[in-house]
Amino acid sequence: MSNNGYLQIHDPLKPKGYAVGIDLGTTNSLVASVIQGKPRCLPVDEGDAMLLPSVVNYAKDGGVVVGARARRLAAEHPTDTISSVKRFMGRSPDDPETRKLGHHKFSEGAGRVVRFEVSGGQPVTPIEVSGEILRALKRRAESHFAGKVEQAVITVPAYFDDAQRQATKDAGRLAGLEVLRLLNEPTAAALAYGLDKGSQGTFAVYDLGGGTFDISILKLVDGIFEVKSTGGDSALGGDDFDRAIAQRVLQAMGQGSPSPSLVAEVLAAARKTKEALTDAPEVELMAGGHRQLIRREDFEAWIQPLVQKTGIVCRRAMKDAGVTAAELDGVILVGGATRVPAVRCFVAEVFGREPLGDIDPDQVVALGAAVQADLLTNVNRQDEVLLLDVIPLSLGLETMGGIVEKLIPRNSTIPIAAAQVFTTFKDGQTGLDVHVLQGEREAVEDCRSLARFRLSGIPPMAAGMARVEVRFQVDADGILSVAAKEQSTGITQAITVKPSHGLTDEEVERMLLDSIDHAEEDIQLRQLREQRVEAERVLADATKQLGEHGDLLQDGDQAAIEAAMAQVRELAKGEDSHAIKEAIHALDEVSRPFVERVMDQAIRKVVAGHSVEEY
Amino acid sequence: MKCWNCEKETGGRPFCPACGKISARPPGATHFDVFAMRPGYDVDIPSLERQFRELSLKLHPDRFAQADARERRLSLEQTTALNEAYRTLKDPSRRAFYLLKLHGVDLDREDAGTQQEMPQEFLEEVIELREELEGAMHTKDLTRAQAMAVDVTARQREALHEAADALRALHLEDHREEELVKKASHALGRVRYFTRFLEQVEEFEEEAVV
Repeated sequence: MSNNGYLQIHDPLKPKGYAVGIDLGTTNSLVASVIQGKPRCLPVDEGDAMLLPSVVNYAKDGGVVVGARARRLAAEHPTDTISSVKRFMGRSPDDPETRKLGHHKFSEGAGRVVRFEVSGGQPVTPIEVSGEILRALKRRAESHFAGKVEQAVITVPAYFDDAQRQATKDAGRLAGLEVLRLLNEPTAAALAYGLDKGSQGTFAVYDLGGGTFDISILKLVDGIFEVKSTGGDSALGGDDFDRAIAQRVLQAMGQGSPSPSLVAEVLAAARKTKEALTDAPEVELMAGGHRQLIRREDFEAWIQPLVQKTGIVCRRAMKDAGVTAAELDGVILVGGATRVPAVRCFVAEVFGREPLGDIDPDQVVALGAAVQADLLTNVNRQDEVLLLDVIPLSLGLETMGGIVEKLIPRNSTIPIAAAQVFTTFKDGQTGLDVHVLQGEREAVEDCRSLARFRLSGIPPMAAGMARVEVRFQVDADGILSVAAKEQSTGITQAITVKPSHGLTDEEVERMLLDSIDHAEEDIQLRQLREQRVEAERVLADATKQLGEHGDLLQDGDQAAIEAAMAQVRELAKGEDSHAIKEAIHALDEVSRPFVERVMDQAIRKVVAGHSVEEY
Repeated sequence: MKCWNCEKETGGRPFCPACGKISARPPGATHFDVFAMRPGYDVDIPSLERQFRELSLKLHPDRFAQADARERRLSLEQTTALNEAYRTLKDPSRRAFYLLKLHGVDLDREDAGTQQEMPQEFLEEVIELREELEGAMHTKDLTRAQAMAVDVTARQREALHEAADALRALHLEDHREEELVKKASHALGRVRYFTRFLEQVEEFEEEAVV
């Protein structure tokens, strides 16, 4: 047992490594951990950046690149580069959200789950793509700690439904993480704020991320964070602001059906423009040889309908929580899109007060997740704080006439359960169909279909005699499970409910096996990439020396060195990391006499300088 | 109830008094049992809230994240029961429906309406209200619907008062049980209808805003 406050090992026989909090975002992902009592984000990308762009590139050689490098590849390889994958989690291929302006290529006839066509292998599902992001975060956190990371709290939008939560948990499993808890993003943000400030009172958390909008009303009393209500739109975010710009730009360019690479380029330019408009009143957008001046007021007019939509949701959440704006003690801003001045203004107007934003809105969710991971794994902190969260959308069953009967109303504190008794309507009937839905509307077609299953094995009896109790349990992650029991005989039936738009357990298992099979391949790929980077460095260095110290070259030096450089350059394009290493070594050997002369000269200069002044 | 760990008597407590391990939920426990309260309509809400927070701190699955599978399952079961009991008891209307259910009348069952033989006046009231609301929705008259909502909220409150009186009397007297249960179910039948009516107005309001 360590006492440095961040090594979470409780059972000496079962070391669990470090526990982290992960914000798996639409645009960027972060990993944080409590280090010496304080939550901190860890460097995860180039230049020690805390934000890992949630972009995954699948190369022709089967290699996978995640982060800023993948994002740079998007314009050149638009369909092999998956961005904003969170939007597709748990959604069907024909979902309107799936069909928004984008640069991805979908597999045709894919069935229940979205699949992206990428080069270098089979089509990939959003769960696998998210798994790659999580795996990258896990690896980079491990190299930061020089130790294993096996447990994680992963955040999800509060408004995520069962299918989206299940998909996120599956992605965690694929990445080799034990998911301690799925934590709602606004709740995580409140946790990050609450612990810093020791606040009491009622707070609203307004969270506008890249692809999702959430509002939660929380009450903090004696260390308990009780979510009173939550609402949102899991298909509204900063990405839609980019799209609002991009659509106008494509129109102005006269591009009715633009190519995926043009879409990727214009979307990237739109994102930069949006960010720049936070400080500048007007920005010139450049994409595909086209220039267009975008004024902040134009931008604000374009996004106004989207921003207004969040207001309706905020008012309903306050009503559900039984509070008015005046009774709130504070409003917390979360998510990069809350940097947009029009959004800040709007929030101030809806809640009648200036929002708090002293913690970086990009980091606050990951920091809160790290606190929760620490609370769950660190026995010394068990009595400090507790989160009581709610289910965001009502759960119900289809009844006669396509009407949904609500079993568990939205904003019920989780874990929660409900039971419904079904009776047979025909003599000798041995099966019953059950359709589980999530949503607030009355008609089946307006709600999200979570699962359909058949209760079978009911003992044959007269109509109405068999009574089957179906029990729905929603756990602390907001995930549903179902059990059924025939009451007269006591026969219990376990039902596996998998979301209609998710993967089956078998599919997840197979993906897990595949990822283990590929582990060795992964190591080779990593070595290959490392050697390529080394080759680049050595070539740049040699070019510089040749340029600066050409006078020190002797007969034949230059030709030999350049030949060795060409060899390195050529092999770096190939797949053989060993061969690249050999070539780098050969270049070192060939250039050694020259490099030694360069060194000698440098030393002589220093010594000469000294001799004049000091000897 | 015997403790699964030390086999001593738990006395229905959430944790075994002998060994301190989390207990299994006693079969047949009511929402009132969860808070060690006597069943009745009148509930001290601040004390209920305090007890809910104290029990949550001890029982919540977050407290058992690193425990073994059995303790994790028991924590889930007990917390689920705690949340359901709290949700039911803190709300006067849900509490009334639940008390009635303990007296053998479950208005949540699909056949509850026909079972309770609601009086003729109520059916007339329902038809009249429904026609008026449909008219307002048809002409998109939000103001009229909202005025109706104010009126129906008052009727709902009054019906709940009636039910509460009958339920209180049920716990004081024991010779008029059948009559009082009938009175409470008729009153709560009206409450239920008014609640659905108000939900419809709310939906109409939301659609009108969008």
